[in-house]
Amino acid sequence: MNKSGLFFNVLGSLIALSWLAVPAVKAQDADSLLRSMDTLSKSEPVQAVFKATRIVLSHSTETQKKHDLDLRIRHHFGDIGGRFGSAHTLYGLDVASDLFIGLDYGVTDDFTVAVGRSKQDETFNFSGKYKLLKQQDTGMPVNLTLLAQMGWVAREPFNENEFTSYADRFSWFFQGLISRKLTSRLSLQVMPGYLIRQVSMEPGDPRNLFVLGFAGRMKLTKRLSFVADYTLVNGLSRQPDNLANAYYDPLGVGLEIETGGHIFSLNFMNSEYILENNFIPNTKKSWGKGGVRFGFTISRNFSLFKSKDPGKQSKIY
Amino acid sequence: MTWVRKTIEWGLAMALVMAAQSNVRAQNYSCNSISTWIFSSTPLEDIRAESAKGSGVIVAATRAVVVQIPVKTLEFERKLMQEHFNENYMESDRYPYARFKGTLDPGADLSKDGTYSVNVGGVLSVHGVDKQRTIPCKLLVKNGVVNVEAQFKVACADHNITIPRLVFAKIAESISVRISGQFHALKQN
Repeated sequence: MNKSGLFFNVLGSLIALSWLAVPAVKAQDADSLLRSMDTLSKSEPVQAVFKATRIVLSHSTETQKKHDLDLRIRHHFGDIGGRFGSAHTLYGLDVASDLFIGLDYGVTDDFTVAVGRSKQDETFNFSGKYKLLKQQDTGMPVNLTLLAQMGWVAREPFNENEFTSYADRFSWFFQGLISRKLTSRLSLQVMPGYLIRQVSMEPGDPRNLFVLGFAGRMKLTKRLSFVADYTLVNGLSRQPDNLANAYYDPLGVGLEIETGGHIFSLNFMNSEYILENNFIPNTKKSWGKGGVRFGFTISRNFSLFKSKDPGKQSKIY
Repeated sequence: MTWVRKTIEWGLAMALVMAAQSNVRAQNYSCNSISTWIFSSTPLEDIRAESAKGSGVIVAATRAVVVQIPVKTLEFERKLMQEHFNENYMESDRYPYARFKGTLDPGADLSKDGTYSVNVGGVLSVHGVDKQRTIPCKLLVKNGVVNVEAQFKVACADHNITIPRLVFAKIAESISVRISGQFHALKQN
C-alpha cells in the first residue's frame, strides 16, 4: 500500500467517523442544549407572599396590582365572654364594636392608595403604601413595604374639652413592613411602626407610640390559609403600669379563604377596633378575660381599565 | 512535485472533513424566544395569556424535539389572575416548566426549503403530570431557518389541574394553546 492509499484510507475513516459520531453525541445533547438556553430568570420577584393587603388586623407587604380596586368590608363583633359576652349578646354577635368599609386602588403594581371609614369615632383614613423592595429567588431576601396612614376623627366632640383644636382630630401612622416567603406555604413578617397622636387618652400615656408587629401566614391548602398577627405596644414607649386603664397588645388569628378575586377571612381578635390608628392605642380587651371577639373580612377585587389590544383582552361577559 | 500534490490532497481532505462536520452540526436547531398563547373560553369569560420566553431544540439527525415554557413567563392582562394561575392552578414554584419532548414523524427534510405538515409524538409534561400526545405541527423551512407552528388543546383534568366549583363556569375545561417559534441552525463553538 502506497502512502497516498493509506492517506485516503485514514481520510475516509475520518469522514465516516465524523458523520456517525457527531450526530450520536449531539442527539444525547438535546436536553442539555435546552438547559443551556434556559430563559427562566431567577431574579423575578417572588409572587403572593400574602394573598391580601391585610393579614388579620395589620397590613401585609402586599400592594394592589396596577389598576385593581379592592372593596373591603370588615366587621368586629362584641366580646365572646366576660361581662359583655355570653348568651345575653349571643356571644358578642349582637354587638358591632367596629365596622369598616374601604377601597384600595393600585396606581402602579408597587404603589397603592386607600381610603376607608370606620364606625369607631367615625374615623376616616387615607393611606399610601409603597413596595420598595421585592424578594427574589436569588438576590434580595425580603420584601419591604412602607405604609403611611392618616386617621381623621369626624364625630362630634363628647364634651367641650375635646378637639379644642381641629388638628386634634388627626393621627398619623407610619410603618415599615418586612416580610419573607420562606416556603410556598409559610410567610413571615415583622413590622415596626410609629403612631403620632395629638392627644392621648390619659396622662402618663405618651402621645406618640412606637410599636413592633409580627405576622405570619401558613397555607393549609391552595386556597385556605391560617393567618395571625400580633402588635407589641406595651413596654415600648407606653408603660402600662403608669396608666389607670388596662391596655392590651392586639392579637388576631384567622382563616383566610381565597376564591379568584374574592377573599373571605374569619377572624378572632382581642382588639375592638379595625384601623391601626384606633387599635394600637385603644385595645382594652384581653384574650385572657373573655375579651376575644369574632370578626370577618370580605374583599372583592375589581380590575379597571381593560387593555385596548384585543389579543390581550380577558373578557367578562 | 509530490509536495504540491500532497498539499492539495491535504487541503481537500481538511475541506471535506470540515464540510462534513459543519453539515452535521448545522442539523441542530434552537430557539429561545418561542411564543406561546393560551386561551380559555367559556360563556362567562375569555382569558388570554402570552409568553415569548419559551425555548426549544430540534436535533435533525434523530428528529428529536424538545420545547419548554417557563410557566411564570405567561403574562395575563390582569396580574391578580396571573398570580392565581401560578399559585392555585399551575403551582409554578413546584413545577416551573411546561415541557414537550417528542420525535418528529419522518417526512420533513429540514435541510430542504419547503412547508411540511407533520405530527410530533411524545410526552407533554404540565403541572408535573406526563401525558402521551401526538401534536400536529407546521414546519416552514427557508434558508436554513425552521419556522414551527403548532396548535393544540390541553385538558386541565389530564394534568391534575383542578378548577373549584366556584369558578368552574369561568375557566374552560380544555385550554387552547398555540406555539410559534423560529428555529435557527445552532452555530458550532
